[in-house]
Amino acid sequence: MGSILVVAEIQKGKVREASYELVSFARKIGAATGREVKSLVMGQGAQAHAEEMAKKGGGEVFLADDAALADYNLDAAFAAVKAAIAAASADVVLLSNTPTGWDLAPRLGAALDAAFVPDCFNVEVEGGELVFFRRFFNGKLDSRLRPTALPIVATMQPGATAAFEGTADGKVTALAVSVGACGTRFVEMKVAEARGVDLTKADIIVSGGRSLGGAEKFQEVIQPLADALGGAMGASRPVVDAGWLPHEHQVGSSGQIVAPKLYVACGISGAIQHLVGMKASNFIIAINKDADAPIFEVANLGVVGDLFEVVPKLTAAVKTAKG
Amino acid sequence: MKIMVCIKQVPHQDARLDINGAGTWIAEDNIKFEINQYDQHALEAALALKDKDAGTEVVVVSIGPERVTQSLRTALGMGADRAVHVKDAAADGSDALGTAKILAAIGKAEMPDMVFAGFMADDGNFAAVGPMLATLMGIPHTTTAVRFTKENGKVLVERELEGGALQVVELTAPCLVTTQTGMNQVRYASLKGIMAAKKKPIDVKSVADLGLAGQVGEAAAKVKLEKLYTPAKGQGAEMLSGSVDEVVGKLVGKIKELGLL
Repeated sequence: MGSILVVAEIQKGKVREASYELVSFARKIGAATGREVKSLVMGQGAQAHAEEMAKKGGGEVFLADDAALADYNLDAAFAAVKAAIAAASADVVLLSNTPTGWDLAPRLGAALDAAFVPDCFNVEVEGGELVFFRRFFNGKLDSRLRPTALPIVATMQPGATAAFEGTADGKVTALAVSVGACGTRFVEMKVAEARGVDLTKADIIVSGGRSLGGAEKFQEVIQPLADALGGAMGASRPVVDAGWLPHEHQVGSSGQIVAPKLYVACGISGAIQHLVGMKASNFIIAINKDADAPIFEVANLGVVGDLFEVVPKLTAAVKTAKG
Repeated sequence: MKIMVCIKQVPHQDARLDINGAGTWIAEDNIKFEINQYDQHALEAALALKDKDAGTEVVVVSIGPERVTQSLRTALGMGADRAVHVKDAAADGSDALGTAKILAAIGKAEMPDMVFAGFMADDGNFAAVGPMLATLMGIPHTTTAVRFTKENGKVLVERELEGGALQVVELTAPCLVTTQTGMNQVRYASLKGIMAAKKKPIDVKSVADLGLAGQVGEAAAKVKLEKLYTPAKGQGAEMLSGSVDEVVGKLVGKIKELGLL
């Protein structure tokens, strides 16, 4: 029996919350299959992170500490994970479905000729075998997937389970990594330009989706409701991709993560990446033609209808109510 | 320069998704298909390079049944030079790695200077085939590109991370880049382009042609899709019924109750 290797990530000077969520999943698999949980921490000057990981359920933590790992580099990270898999005799490898995970995990999957299951929200053990659960069609359908061979490389959706919070004494083991010639080189990080609109500070956000059909419809339908409510205008990714609104209006994992008092989603079906950005809102109203749209799963109040009919009437009613 | 672009034909974004009888995929009868959104941006990135250097050859590659021909014709109409279509039931049911193996066999034969693929497909959302293909071809890759430049064999990519952050990565060509939506404005096929596309070659291959008999397809897949199903309904929203005026009245009442009016 091999072990389970958790590939931890350091972000903004600490171990990501998602890495401890991986520990939760790993310990669940470990308890049901008899596999030991081990972890990898990679970076430069990352001793303290490895020690924290060892105290918080990561088991034996392999520490790959190297200047080549200071910033994310595909080749260096790949070399570190391969070395850790060998040192841990791992046959199940867990990463988070983050920019690092989606860049690195499939490369590992192919190099190891592994069973690869990305972006899962759950894993169960059935008769000693792992079964993974993940969404298809941008969240519209769910699936169960069974790896039929080892090793397994899986990535788990951040936030899909609670982070492991217990204490369990592990240990830190230094791991030598030889990084050869790299085909990729980290150049720099950039942050998005200064924003004209800061959605994270808005109490009320009225958002529109692809079904609005054009930039002018945002001005005709969405902006008036936002104005009437004294809120800001948001949008889903396809709207920004199409150039109807600038990037600062985008709500979602690649845009703004918001939690206003009221979020009104108009013609937004609710792709996962959008839901991640707004599901923490205090109250959510969704207006959509499709009664099966995933947005209704996270909304508090739902209206199945034509937004072009409902939203202007709502705008008028809000104005009347305000007097 | 030769550029390989991997495209997948997927159900149209607005297609109705009913589960098939076996519960393992959607019912594909009577739905429309399109080129995966992310792949359209991959194709556009390649065509933009061809715009700058007319000597560039753009080869589009796809796997799937006869209906995929239409997507390949669209890509040729947009400006790709030729297509390779792996049309073989033996490829059906491949997992991401099996798909990557098929594409890698073509990649190794074509020896492109650059490979583009969409970050993920709108059906499975695996985001796996691009990086796997790069691995099997032995070339570097990066993912979620929103900006791309290529000069003197050096490729510079801005990849999109979370919350608006970008990471700038330099790659040594040949390499593979997966494209994020919004990376570029995808062109339409012109009438002239569509006419010209009719004469452009689509090379049809079988799995055996690629030397992969028995290595791909459902039997060789290491991941089995056991069940596809409609997500369990959680508590979900309280759905308002009635006329539009009644519904609007209830909404305003709720917004007042929240103390926001």
